[in-house]
Amino acid sequence: MHQILTIAWREITRLRSRFGGASPLAVILMLAVLGLAAFALRNGAALGNGLYRVGVSGDVPTIADSRFAVVKVDPSQGQALLDQHAIDVFVDGSQVYSRTDQKSQYALTALMQTLEKQELLRVGSSYTYNLAFPLRVGINYLSSTPAAPGVAATPAAPVQTIIPSLTPPPAPFAQVIIALLYILPITFTSIFFTSSFMDEKINRRLVILLSAPVTPFQIILGKMLPYVLFALATTALIALLTHAPVLLALAIYAPTTLFIFAIYLMVPLFYRSFKDTTFIAMLVTTLTTAYLVFPAMFTNISEFAYLSPLTLAVKMVRAEPFSWRQYLLPSLPMAAIFGLAMFAGTRMLNEEFLMGYRPLTRKLTDAIYLMLKRARPVVSVTLMSLGMIPVVYLVQLVFLAIATNLSVGAMLGSTLVAAAFVEEIAKSLGIAVLADHGLVHSTGQLLLLAFLSALGFLVGEKLLLLVSINGVSQASISSVLFSTGGFLLVPLIAHFIFTSVVLLLHTKARFRYILALAIGTLLHALYNWYLVGGLR
Amino acid sequence: MSAFLAVMKKELNSVLRDRTMVIAIIIQLFIASFSSALLLGLLALYDPDTVMQYSGSSVHVGLVSPAGDPLQSYLSARGIPTTRFSSLDSAERAYYNGRLNAILMVPQTAGGLVDIQLYLADSDFAPIIRTVLQTPLKQYENYLRAQRGVVVRYTGLQGKPATAFEFIYSVLLPILMFFPAFVAGSMVIDSLTEEVENNTLQTLLSAPLSINGIVNAKICAAVMLALVQCSAWLGLLWLNRISVQNSAWVLGLGILVAGITATGAALVAVLFRDRERAQFVYSLALLAAVAITTLLGLSPVQTLSRLAIGDYYTTGWNVALVAAFLAVLWLSLSSLAHRLAT
Repeated sequence: MHQILTIAWREITRLRSRFGGASPLAVILMLAVLGLAAFALRNGAALGNGLYRVGVSGDVPTIADSRFAVVKVDPSQGQALLDQHAIDVFVDGSQVYSRTDQKSQYALTALMQTLEKQELLRVGSSYTYNLAFPLRVGINYLSSTPAAPGVAATPAAPVQTIIPSLTPPPAPFAQVIIALLYILPITFTSIFFTSSFMDEKINRRLVILLSAPVTPFQIILGKMLPYVLFALATTALIALLTHAPVLLALAIYAPTTLFIFAIYLMVPLFYRSFKDTTFIAMLVTTLTTAYLVFPAMFTNISEFAYLSPLTLAVKMVRAEPFSWRQYLLPSLPMAAIFGLAMFAGTRMLNEEFLMGYRPLTRKLTDAIYLMLKRARPVVSVTLMSLGMIPVVYLVQLVFLAIATNLSVGAMLGSTLVAAAFVEEIAKSLGIAVLADHGLVHSTGQLLLLAFLSALGFLVGEKLLLLVSINGVSQASISSVLFSTGGFLLVPLIAHFIFTSVVLLLHTKARFRYILALAIGTLLHALYNWYLVGGLR
Repeated sequence: MSAFLAVMKKELNSVLRDRTMVIAIIIQLFIASFSSALLLGLLALYDPDTVMQYSGSSVHVGLVSPAGDPLQSYLSARGIPTTRFSSLDSAERAYYNGRLNAILMVPQTAGGLVDIQLYLADSDFAPIIRTVLQTPLKQYENYLRAQRGVVVRYTGLQGKPATAFEFIYSVLLPILMFFPAFVAGSMVIDSLTEEVENNTLQTLLSAPLSINGIVNAKICAAVMLALVQCSAWLGLLWLNRISVQNSAWVLGLGILVAGITATGAALVAVLFRDRERAQFVYSLALLAAVAITTLLGLSPVQTLSRLAIGDYYTTGWNVALVAAFLAVLWLSLSSLAHRLAT
């Protein structure tokens, strides 16, 4: 612990000397710019910013909507301006004029949404509540089967009662943007961490540090600590400024912070040149943002939304509760990935790996070898395929997001193949690397490892499903997956066969790994296709 | 001149040779495909009218209501098929026979609060049904208000669903047109600071080329790449039948902004000389620029959206303003670039 703090302090001094005594200034400058940006974009980040122009004359409610540029016009000119397309809609008192072309019609829809809100405010403030909002709608859920005769089928009381005009649309675009606001400084800080790591790697100070009596784990944690603390402090600050509960915000964003840092730890370990680092960091930022935002757009619409921690933040902003399971569903995989990255990082942090100039694929296999070699293959392979589950799950999710814009058939097909591909890599790569290094001695041992890998993967997969399905979704899905205990045996055998095929083709028949993998993927995809009913 | 071209060619080659450009293009393809996925979600879930187009016909509502109640006509007017039942029991029988998706029960009341009960299945489909029913229920609410003497203005307005339009022109197009600019800036910083930190700048200076020439060549290479990307995006949008008005100005604006980020990045690189600080200041400056232009109402994002939809008041002059800013930035770079070599 003492060493970790020493390294953390050293990191802070390094930063301070880097910015020539201007580090407090740099921090203040950064906070000032972030604050300014948040202030400037708080309204401007809305959809359709500045797209429409509306002319008003007479008694018209204030149009405070960033989509509109409002011009006061003379009643006599309004129609002329409308006709020459200088404005898209014209509001004269309680009358609204529009053209028939698309743009004017879009503007009309947008205007209707804004004016409706303004009118509700006016009505709500000038009449008594029950007069202004005379309608209540009770939402009642019917049971899935008809009740026995004589028993009332309808529930006694509605689960929820709403006032239609005061019910916000269920989907939360604005709240997702606010939730994303927290991510911005986290990413920013972690890019800093990457830069620092990269810098010390290039000027070899990291190697010098490695010869000191500290473990790689202490080095990584120590270097990361100041940045993580800073990121968490900004999270707390944003929560404070937006009047959100600080502790809840920290609990929601801490796993996400760790996850982002985990990914940015990998970037400098694998890459050598500045340009590579910049572009990979950009790619990583885009992918993580997509992974965070995409599910959150479906908050309150589909339970699928809980795959992203932003959904929890959206719930927090909307002051809606969520359960422990819903919290764990996105947070556990993220924390697990952080753990995996820390483990991988400590094993990869040695001079030979850092300074070696090799193609990326070679570096990857080296990294896996370094991670696996210290334990007995039987243990390490099982643990590896168990630990790969969260990664597999994230990759598949990102792929699903991309595939949604293919046609339905192509989407299903490509998702099945991609899922099979990712899973086969996760299960077989570790064993293939061990075999290539001559650590697997017989076919029997190879098959044993394949079996253990399949077992580890299946156990991990089912654990994840157990958390997620019970936590979020209806009984129907979980009954399909868990109702028949013997059913688990079939996927275990299937996973074992696919992995064995890949490994035997690679090590015994001397196929190139990628070719062997393709054949295994094909078999696996066919099996997936059969499962969803394609061959029946 | 040939030395200038040689440096530019070297820059372009280095980018095209290794994977960086491929990654940048993958990022943009991902953003584009991801946006359309997002658009699908937005369309299906944010816009009751669009939901109606996709699933409205499959939402069949059973109605138990007093005679002469207008709710049925509001529902039919929006294309939701309804069937009237005399009692909740008979409606439920129809529901369990699979003929209905939801039941609305309107009580017999005179004045006071009206309590409608909505019965439906607790499934993933429930939010969609509720979204579809939202508008007719609001109309009904307005009818009740009018009955009670509360006047609500602007109730009969009905335009076309605008979410897709707003998303494409205010989010997707600016991302596609300005992301290449962002990449251009990062590229210039990496390339310049790498020359400084690896001490290769001195070697390069022994070629018949001034320091200004080198910096400008790197900027030109980055802007060229942005030009190629922006044109490709406009072409792809055109293939997808997304019309972009004033496309020449739109492209021009994209390139000018790439010029600004590349020149600004070079300026930062000249002032700080190491990548870590330069990238940090560059990102901050970019964020500050976005914030300040937004506050001043000069945001290039807004100019771009407005040009693309053919806004009456947005013309080439708005683009000329951006060009003027680029000129100022470039002049200050020219007077400072010599610092890089010292």
